[in-house]
Amino acid sequence: MEKLKTPTGEDLLTGYLPNGLHYGILPKRGFVKKYAVLATKYGSLDSKFEVPGEGIVEVPDGIAHFLEHKLFEEPEGNVFDRFAQLGASVNAFTSYTQTAYLFSTVDYLSEALAQLVDFVTHPYLTEENVEKEKGIIVQELRMYEDHPDRRLHRNLLNALYHENHIRLDIGGTPESVNRITVDWLMKCYRTFYQPTNMALFVVGDVSPEGVLDVVQEHFPNGAAQPVGERVYPEEPPHINQAWVEDRLSISRPRCAVGFKNVPTSDGEESLRRYLTMGIAWRLIAARSSPHFERLYNAGLIDDSFGASFSTTPYYSYSVVTSQTDDPERFVEEIKAIVREVQGGPVPEADVERLKRQLYGGFIASFDSLEYTANSYIAHYFNGTPYLRYLSILQSITAQEVQEAAVNYLDLENSAVSVLLPTEGEGHGQG
Amino acid sequence: MDFTHCSLGAGVRLHLCETDKFNTVTCKLFVQQNLASETAAATALIPAILKRGSQKFPSTRQIARELEYLHAASFSADVLKIGERQLLEFYFDMIDPTLLPDGDENWKRGLATFWDIAFHPVTQDGAFVSEYFDQEKLNLRREVEGLINDKRGYALARAVELMCSEEPYGVYRYGSVPAIEALENGAEYRYYQELLATRPMDIFLVGRNLDLIANEIARLEFPRNGTAQLEPPVLREAAEERWHIEELPAQQSVLVLGYRTNLRYMGPGYYGLVVMNGILGGFPHSKLFVNVRERASLAYYIGSFVDGTKGILMVNGGVSAAKVEDAVRIIKEQVEAVQQGDITEEELELTKIGLCSSIASMADDPGSIIDRNLVGLVNGEMRSFDDVLGAIRSVTAEDVQRAAKALKLDTIYVLRGSLEKE
Repeated sequence: MEKLKTPTGEDLLTGYLPNGLHYGILPKRGFVKKYAVLATKYGSLDSKFEVPGEGIVEVPDGIAHFLEHKLFEEPEGNVFDRFAQLGASVNAFTSYTQTAYLFSTVDYLSEALAQLVDFVTHPYLTEENVEKEKGIIVQELRMYEDHPDRRLHRNLLNALYHENHIRLDIGGTPESVNRITVDWLMKCYRTFYQPTNMALFVVGDVSPEGVLDVVQEHFPNGAAQPVGERVYPEEPPHINQAWVEDRLSISRPRCAVGFKNVPTSDGEESLRRYLTMGIAWRLIAARSSPHFERLYNAGLIDDSFGASFSTTPYYSYSVVTSQTDDPERFVEEIKAIVREVQGGPVPEADVERLKRQLYGGFIASFDSLEYTANSYIAHYFNGTPYLRYLSILQSITAQEVQEAAVNYLDLENSAVSVLLPTEGEGHGQG
Repeated sequence: MDFTHCSLGAGVRLHLCETDKFNTVTCKLFVQQNLASETAAATALIPAILKRGSQKFPSTRQIARELEYLHAASFSADVLKIGERQLLEFYFDMIDPTLLPDGDENWKRGLATFWDIAFHPVTQDGAFVSEYFDQEKLNLRREVEGLINDKRGYALARAVELMCSEEPYGVYRYGSVPAIEALENGAEYRYYQELLATRPMDIFLVGRNLDLIANEIARLEFPRNGTAQLEPPVLREAAEERWHIEELPAQQSVLVLGYRTNLRYMGPGYYGLVVMNGILGGFPHSKLFVNVRERASLAYYIGSFVDGTKGILMVNGGVSAAKVEDAVRIIKEQVEAVQQGDITEEELELTKIGLCSSIASMADDPGSIIDRNLVGLVNGEMRSFDDVLGAIRSVTAEDVQRAAKALKLDTIYVLRGSLEKE
């Protein structure tokens, strides 16, 4: 067990169990709630992989998310009830790169942790319960289809990417969901739900020894097993389509501009890229930016205006988005602003002020048990050095921010997604 | 994690929760107003305009730069609807000064900035800056029109509007489009001054070394001029069950059932209502979730919540259009089951444990430590964590059944998705 320090001076204990499971434990005195996440590095992107004795298999899209739903199934009773009996609430989520199971509890950490490990390590899938789940998941997918920002983002990813499965909804499509079988689900489970591919994080007023005892008792033992190789489609560096449009029942058009980059598997490089781009985007899109002020006052954008940058070993892209009555002009303005930042010089004082903001934001983030746990796990799976966040931040220069804008906001590799109100639909109140 | 209270005079109260748990100091300031169709839009516009600029920081950009410099201090403002009150909410947080090299300067400068934004807006000819006023009026109108973008939120708001069309409760928290259109800058500015001068004002602080900050606040000037009396909530018996069906191009339909109970925070039976709501639709083990989603696969989400000030309970779920009647039937069956006392020992215990856990957990989040007091604030009686937890633990199956018997179905609202594929 290794004892590390968080930036606010708290002890963070990390290590590996003999079966290969990675853990992090952050005791926080005085907190009422205990929060735990058990996650596997397996998400919607992992649909082609090696199965010992069978070679490479390709499974229907949406299967990681489907499996997440099904692990809540038990031969007797259900998982929700067991947690409810402990006053704990249990949930799960699936992303492009991971599936996470989590709970929070006030009084019964050991019992809830044992339940968490038990249900995640004991799948109970039958033809019948798999069929029943399809109806629920298809309803969930339809709900997302009506969600304007999800639709806008999905279309943008389709414009940016040719092959990468980031193009597809994490839950798959109604068609792919309907093709899922018990057999496919169990293949995925056996491949990816191995302790060497998983991580646990527990935070709250807890005793680290107590946590480890419970996990060791309940997690199936055995020697660490390697995980089969994953195969990702070859993704060309250039975009797929420069401009895509779609319609939905909304009050006002929405527009998103995306910039595609080649991802990096170097964790330190990835975190550095994340922080420099965080500053670059704030220079463009934060409320403190003169560009935001000008576009807002001109009525071209509203409070929905915002930008973000994602970087993992599997994809790397930026998005800037807003509701706007004039998507063409919005795109032209964004491109002009990007060119201006790329041309530099980026003001030192702005960068120093934004570093103060990111510094404070990182310290404040440790107040949220959920955020702390979820970011630790995401950083662990992506191989980024979480606890070096502040030291990397302090070393960033204005020059570097300008270079990042040049390198990662490539106008030749940008695409636009527009969502327009359904034709002939005028919506108002009442 | 409870507050100590003191008066700063003239209807202004200060509530302090001293704790060293957090890396931040959080401050919220609330101003209460009656919820009414005549004033809702005018109240709702205030936060949007104040965010545009203060006397010291006369633009959003300058405010944002100052907050960034203050190590990610944050400011926000909005309006809330609680029962038949509309609350102006100002939020400010900053990093605990003891964690910063320049902490002392940081908090003093932060507090002064917060005060400047809330109390000293930038003005022009005795009104708000006309450019800001015009833009924010347009943005507020778009916000109200944009409610349609969130089908679930839209359906809930429409259901409440139709159910309580003759009570203040039917008014949307941001007002209506015609009311926003009618706003005028000079009158808006005078209205803002009147609200801050006369309506009940409450300031909450959570964090470390609050005495220092409280002393500083006590030295600040409040533009007060008396305290207005606010109206109590209107109670009404349920009418005959009414159906409203509206159609929108959407993939999924939303179903809302509005019940009246007339059981309220200040009356007997309130905690029975809270527990009854939990058994019916507040948790994954609740009757609605188990029967509508898990057994019948009719909905992806289904649940219920109560407004304890107004005494109403709303059920809502996402269902397919063809299954609306099945869903209504099953929902009614679940309500009848609770009314007939079909409540297992396990359901009661699970619900009480679940409620107590979620209430106790609020002590881990500064915003929740404050917000859990808002129902108490508008009803004139804040209750401690221990009192609320004790009241919930003592609820019996008979209390739950009694609360369920008070449920009177008033309105069924269906937002029918016309694009549904089977």
